[in-house]
Amino acid sequence: MVIFRNKEHIYIVRYMLITTCMIAVATGIGWIFRYIAFPETNIVIVYLLFVLMTARFTRGYAYGIVASVIATFTFNYFFTKPYFTFSVNDPTYFITFAIMTVTAFITSTLTSKAKQNALEAQEKEAETSALFQLTNQLTDAANLSDIASIITDTISGIMNCRAACLCFDESGQPEQSFIQQQCAGKQVWRKVDDTAEMKHRIEGLRTAFDVGDEFCDWPIYGREAILGVLRIPKETATTMSESQMRLLHSMIESTALAMDRFRSTQKQQKSREEVIQERYRSNLLRAISHDLRTPLSGIMGTSEMLMDMIDLNDPRYFLAKEIYKDADWLHSLVENILSLTRLQDGRLTITKQLEAVEEVIGSAVNHIMKRSPEYEITINIPEEVLLVPMDAKLIEQVLVNLLDNAVKHTPSDREISVSVIEDKIKNIAVFSVTDQGCGIAASDLPHIFQMFYITHSRQADSQRGVGLGLTICEVIIKAHGGTIEGHNRADEQGAEFVFTLPMEVQNNAEQE
Amino acid sequence: MQNRNERILIVEDDPQIRNFICYLLKQEGFSYITVGTAQGALSILVSEQIDIMLLDLGLPDFDGMEVIKKVREWSEIPIIVVSARDQDKEKALALDSGADDYLTKPFSATELMARIRVVIRHLYKVGGTKQLTSLAVGGLRIDLDKRLVYLDNVELHVTPMEYNLLALFFRNIGKVLTTRYIIKEIYGVGYGTDTQALRTLMAGLRRKIEKDPAKPRYILTEIGVGYRLSDE
Repeated sequence: MVIFRNKEHIYIVRYMLITTCMIAVATGIGWIFRYIAFPETNIVIVYLLFVLMTARFTRGYAYGIVASVIATFTFNYFFTKPYFTFSVNDPTYFITFAIMTVTAFITSTLTSKAKQNALEAQEKEAETSALFQLTNQLTDAANLSDIASIITDTISGIMNCRAACLCFDESGQPEQSFIQQQCAGKQVWRKVDDTAEMKHRIEGLRTAFDVGDEFCDWPIYGREAILGVLRIPKETATTMSESQMRLLHSMIESTALAMDRFRSTQKQQKSREEVIQERYRSNLLRAISHDLRTPLSGIMGTSEMLMDMIDLNDPRYFLAKEIYKDADWLHSLVENILSLTRLQDGRLTITKQLEAVEEVIGSAVNHIMKRSPEYEITINIPEEVLLVPMDAKLIEQVLVNLLDNAVKHTPSDREISVSVIEDKIKNIAVFSVTDQGCGIAASDLPHIFQMFYITHSRQADSQRGVGLGLTICEVIIKAHGGTIEGHNRADEQGAEFVFTLPMEVQNNAEQE
Repeated sequence: MQNRNERILIVEDDPQIRNFICYLLKQEGFSYITVGTAQGALSILVSEQIDIMLLDLGLPDFDGMEVIKKVREWSEIPIIVVSARDQDKEKALALDSGADDYLTKPFSATELMARIRVVIRHLYKVGGTKQLTSLAVGGLRIDLDKRLVYLDNVELHVTPMEYNLLALFFRNIGKVLTTRYIIKEIYGVGYGTDTQALRTLMAGLRRKIEKDPAKPRYILTEIGVGYRLSDE
């Protein structure tokens, strides 16, 4: 600070000296003019010239104005009769003085102004070229810390200080450390003490920058979020001129642009990679399903063939049948795992369309009847056609899984029923699958939707389950925005599974 | 074991399944040729007299879907797709490309034979359908000349749209018609793929011809793919 003030003093002294010298030189020349008897008007012109020179070589308007006044007085003192006094014999000189003062005044201010303009233009040019250089460098930056390093370096150079820059990551959290300029060409990483506090401080900012104890922090705003913080020592920040401030803002602006651009390129690349990965995954799934299904069809077909060739009483028939049953079980396991993998990817795209409930239920029931023709399944649907937005194939699978469970736990002479009603108040369709079977054991109730959960309280002769059926149902219904629950019937023995589907058509159905 | 005249081409690269299908066809008295590649299938179709083709989609040289498209350029031979791909999109695509039916692996002997029977029945009708003015499935009969529909010999009142829909199914008895195809035939090309109107139309028709619309006997639903008029 002290140095700075001294500098200002030096300037004032120097400019005063220049002014004095100019007037002295003008007076000297005037003296020579009078000696060789040039008309007085020439002396006035010489004074005017030197006032102009003063304005040219000093800064600001003040010296020019002072010079013009002093010039008039010296002219009066040295060159008007009576000489060496401030009094005048000829009153017409007052007009000369007045015109001289005014002319000197105007020319000096004009010169100062021109000079000021030239200075400003120079500054602007420097600003522009600095910005241009910065942008150029930023274009070549390969990552965010490169950008931070470039801005730190540039600003440190221009402001002649040790600036620092902190990037925020994609989730909007500050990174762990600053990049700080140590000296020209050397940067260090400095750890942030409390990133959460930092984030809070920057986000809550109402002014253009935040003033700390040692540093001032400028947030770098991107299109959507804060991208980083630029830190400049407080002493530099508080003594910045307006143009420097402007330059700083422009630089922060271009940094924000560069960071934004980098981010969006990164995002694009990421989504491209995701698409490729997704394709890879679905290809893999397809290959697996194909590669498992084909040999399974072979095993099932061949054992079916064997069963066909062998007499029913032959013990080999039983063996062939066991092969078939196991292959069938394996097949359902594969199918279940595949559909669960597809569903639980989290990226399951449900294409909802308005579907007739009767068709979906009918198809599911038909499916079960083909497998277990000994069962009677009743269907209760409203008289009016009920169209519900859904992915028909998936809801069919839910119904098949629920009915399959019902069949497994219900003797063939008891009733199984599927019904659907529209709840107009809640704007949902309520589906329920009920049976008169053994019901759900109390110990199983909380776990029925868990993956690979198979009840332990079951009679030994019943079919082996896979333990994925209900999990799949739950995933599908949740993806549809509905709810599913299972409980024992209150009115009689048996279990009841109820699921709901929202009735309103969502946007994705319209896009289809 | 009866002997049949139809000759079936089995395009399948998995020997197990090929054996299984061969065994079934032999049991039923069909004669058959087997081939493991798409290229081979095409050359046999050109050189031999084939009545039906059973086609696996996942072939080693190129995709079965291409075979369907190529064959449909010059032949109307019935194609039954037998594939491990179970996605509805693939099914619908195969059917729209010109396949007559689609069977997902693993399948049972009865399923395969049922599909083959449908195709064979169709094979003999194709020549004579134009002359036939009256077609029947079970108790459901349609008079294509007078544009009338009878259920158990009682005339049924149907709207013109419902009649068109039913007539479309009767022209393709036993065959799966994709939703897209039906919409194109009934509502025209510009209608897009909005299924809502078709679902409502179908529900209305079913309420007239089926005893229990949820357990249809005539027009069966193939969820995610389309509909089929039962042939039994």
